[in-house]
Parts: sequence; structure tokens; C-alpha cells
Amino acid sequence: MNYRIDELMICRIAREVDASGVTVLGSFTPLAYASYMLAKLTHAPDAPLIGYNAIGMSPIELSLTSAEAAAYRGAAAHWTFIENTQSVHLGGRGLVECVSPAQMDGTGAFNTSVIGPYDHPKVRLPGGTGSPEVVQNYEKIIAYFGSHSTRGLVDKVDFATGGRFPVSPEPRRRRNLLVGPVWIITPLAVLIKDTDEAGFRIESLHPGVELETVVSNTGFPLTAPDEIPETTVPTETQLQLLREQIDPFGTSQFDFLDARARAEYIDDIMGREWARAAAMPDG
Amino acid sequence: MGTDEVVNAVRSSRGVNKVVALEQLGELVPSGSLIGLGGAWLSNHPMAAMRQLLRDGVGDLHLAETMGSMDIDMMVGAGLVSKVTFSMVSLEAFGLPPHFRRAVQGGAIEITELSGLALNTAFEAASRNIPFLPMASLGLSEFPARQPEWYAKIDDPFTGIDLLAIKALVPDVAILHVRRASPAGDCQYDGPMAIDPEMSRSAKRVVVTCEEIVSADVIQACPQMTKIPGFLVDAVIEAPFGAHPLTHVPLYGLDAWELRDYAASAADPEAWPTYLNRLRTESEDQYRERVLPPDRRRVIRNLARAGKTLSGVGQ
Repeated sequence: MNYRIDELMICRIAREVDASGVTVLGSFTPLAYASYMLAKLTHAPDAPLIGYNAIGMSPIELSLTSAEAAAYRGAAAHWTFIENTQSVHLGGRGLVECVSPAQMDGTGAFNTSVIGPYDHPKVRLPGGTGSPEVVQNYEKIIAYFGSHSTRGLVDKVDFATGGRFPVSPEPRRRRNLLVGPVWIITPLAVLIKDTDEAGFRIESLHPGVELETVVSNTGFPLTAPDEIPETTVPTETQLQLLREQIDPFGTSQFDFLDARARAEYIDDIMGREWARAAAMPDG
Repeated sequence: MGTDEVVNAVRSSRGVNKVVALEQLGELVPSGSLIGLGGAWLSNHPMAAMRQLLRDGVGDLHLAETMGSMDIDMMVGAGLVSKVTFSMVSLEAFGLPPHFRRAVQGGAIEITELSGLALNTAFEAASRNIPFLPMASLGLSEFPARQPEWYAKIDDPFTGIDLLAIKALVPDVAILHVRRASPAGDCQYDGPMAIDPEMSRSAKRVVVTCEEIVSADVIQACPQMTKIPGFLVDAVIEAPFGAHPLTHVPLYGLDAWELRDYAASAADPEAWPTYLNRLRTESEDQYRERVLPPDRRRVIRNLARAGKTLSGVGQ
């Protein structure tokens, strides 16, 4: 079955989710949400998942208007964000959370705050919510990008909203922090940083992608092993689950569209969500 | 009457009956207030209360919350905000918040941007009546260096490891929207509550809007749903669809149609004055009649039930 690049990225992220820690839905990262649901529906049914204030939530169908209610309905507990973040994020129980920054550099610093100077920004971005704490404290951190270019993967971020330091295992253990790497996943490749001494190296290239394309579209130095693995492609089962159950409205494509295409796309999703709700019997 | 007199009058004249009309909100929230806002993301912000402050023209406001969206953007668009303390302001799929973005880029409002859990910790410190709480350090984040008024490096007195002290943030008033409340102010949630319970403990005064006012018997029938006890609450306002067009789960899902109209109007300097003027000049009853005709009302209620939970391969 032919796969879309967002589907390949979803499947790569899903691999990192298991029952050894808590996975949390961060702020508006639909591609990551799809990954977590896929993991729950395949290899990691017992992985504890938190979304909104729904603790131990069931996997849900993604949508613009109804996902929050579905998460709440299928939860084992309802907590406030402070109960959740103090015990999971700061309490050292966070396994995986994804961020979707505007910029990231070779130190692992990421920017969700501004393009341009902080005090006189060219573009004021939404901000990072708890991502500085997430990136510092979770075991595994994944930053994903809808395009791989020197605009997003920069020499130095305009502002460091956050960034993991230390990254190396020993200093993290000394500080009582969970040990794990920082990944960057893009439509071209998977990059990984797992020590403070070295920058990012290429973990895998997606099928058909040349090393040179990745290097020339990255604003910081990369290293690569002699034999670079190819990123695993989605299975038919994974694609079926994604398209038919997890994301029938296609919310995970959102990060891959320009503003105009995005507006049309949202109109389309809204039309389909309206039609379904209008056809429901009254509860 | 000043704000304190109104609150005292409410208390003394009605005993434990703290019910006031939405139209009285302006008397409880003076211009210049530091307001802690309930809700998070596109969920359960106190939108009916924001619309009322907008009708009353209560201005020079300092709005504080961890995850804001249309609530902050609309108030900035109405010219009523002088300062925002936040960790995120976003319309998510509906784009960058147009008014907030313009106001920050143009220097029209002052901002304090904090990392999200530091801001939550600031509210927690306030709720404990202490000047700060410690938190683990923040790696490469520039916030501690940029916001020395809110973050200070301290050493753990026991091990010497470096930590951050986060200064308490005490709202003058917290405005929260809840599922149901008794006249005494006992508040219940059936759905997401963001950090509303903690926020209610951090503020000098708490005003709640609710979908429905119920008797004390109804509260006592399921006290485990009461997340904010009445002794923390100063005023109770009945405001059905009080989070609209945002969600109030499990009663209604996102009115994405109204939110899309808002985002388009807010982004268009020609269209915004009309949108704003309509909100200013209609009552909350008229707002509901206009924006929520029967088919829309039915759909957004059904949206709260439409999303599926899934079971997987071999489960």
C-alpha cells in the first residue's frame, strides 16, 4: 500500500511508546497524537496515556471538534493539569512527548516563541506551554517538522524556548533525570542526539532520500554512520488503523500544508464532522 | 459601590447566596484587575464572562493563564488588555491568534512569557500563601535569564543541587466556568477542569460562571465531583453555554464554525469592528439566540458524543 510521509513519521514515533512510562498529548501536535493512538492499538495496549485532563485514556479517534470529549469519556481518572504535570512531567514519570517547534538548532534548543528578536519579533508564535519542562524532564523527546529545511533546522534559534541539557546519561543520572535521547523527525530523515559532546547524527534516511539532500537542508552540522539505515515503512495494518479508525478526518496532514491549503482542508474536515453530528440521534 | 462593598453586600444580604446576574460582573472586576482565567487550549475558558467584560468596557486588564486561546485574543482585540502573562496563546488549527500576535509585534501590550509548569507553579505558590516554590532547572531555556522577576536560581539547602525558585502569582480575581454550582458557590465539573481548582485557591477573589445553578442537595448527592468548595468562591453567575464557542465537555464540543468566523474576522481589520460591535451591543441572551440557532445547538451537543474511543488489533 502506498503511504504518505506523515504516516511514515507517525509509525516511527509510535515505536517509542510503551508501558514503561507515561505518554502525554502535548499542545496541538496532531501527528504525535496519531502515533500514540497507533501504539495503543498495536504493540503497546497497556501504555499509560494522558490527554487533556483524561488520565489513563483509551485510544480515540482524532478530530477537530470531538477528540477532547472522547478522551474524557474513555479515561480511568480525571485530574487537573497541575496534578498531571507535577506528578508526570516534574515527577520523573514522562516517557514520550513530542514538540512541533518553528526552529531547532544543533544544540537541541528549540523555539516556539518568536521569529526575529524577542523584544521586537517579526512573528509572535503561540509559545511553548510546558514544553521547556517536558523536554528537560521526559525520558524521550521527539521534535517533528512538517518540512525539512534550513528555515526550521537552523544554526542558532532566534530564541531558546527550551532545550535539553544535560543530554549525556551520567550527568542526567546525577541530577535524578530520566536518561534518553532527543530525536528530530522530518519528511526526509530521523536525527538523534544522545550526548552533550556530539551534535545530531543521522539515525535513518527515509526511502529514496539522499544523504546530501538532508545535509544541505540542515542548518547545523550532522554526522552519519558509514552505513545509514533506511527508516522502516508503515505496514498495511498500521495504515489501515490510521486511515479507518485513528484519523479518518486526516488531522495528521495539518503540519504539511501551507496556509491556503490548510484553510480548505479545515473547511472539508468541518463539513464532514458537522454531517456526522447532525445525523446522530439526540442523546 | 466599590467592589468590596458589592461583595460584602452580596454576602450579608443573602447569607450564603452568592448568586449575582452576569450584568453585575463589571462591578466585581474593576478596570486594571489582574485576572486569572480558567480553561486551557480550546477548552472551557469563561467566554460568557469575557463577553460581559467586553460589553462593560472593563479595561486596562492584566490577563494571566497558562494556555490561552480565543479568550485572550478577543479581549486584546477589544482593546481592553494592557498585559498578558502566559505560556501559550493559540487558536491551534485556526492559526496564530491575530490580535495577540499584532499587539505583541507592535508593542501595544506588555507580555510576560513563562514556561508552562513554572506559571502553574507560580499559581500553586500563591495558593499556599508563600512567596515562591522551587522547581527543577530548565536546561537551555532562556526564560530564567530573560524573566529574572519570576525565576531565580537557588541551591537545594540539603544537597546543593541548583534549582529554580518560581515567584508566586496572585490574581486579583479568578474567573472560571464550571458545570454546576450551588448558591453557596460549591462548584462541580463533569469534564476537563484545566487548572481551575488550583487557580481558585491562588486568587484574592473568585467569580464563577456555571452552566446551571443547582440546590445544595444536588451537590451533596455527588460531592466527589465538587472541585471548588464554596468557601473559596465570592460570586456565582448562571451562564448557559458560558464557554461557547469553546468546549464544555460533556455538554458541548467545539463550535468550530463560530471559531472559524472569529479567526477570519479577527484577521481582517475591515471585518473586526462589525464583529466586535455586535458583541458589545447585544445581551448574552441575544448572543445565544444569534450564534446558536437550533441546528447549531444540536450539532455541538452531539459533537460531545460523536468522537469514538477505539479498540485495537487483537484486543
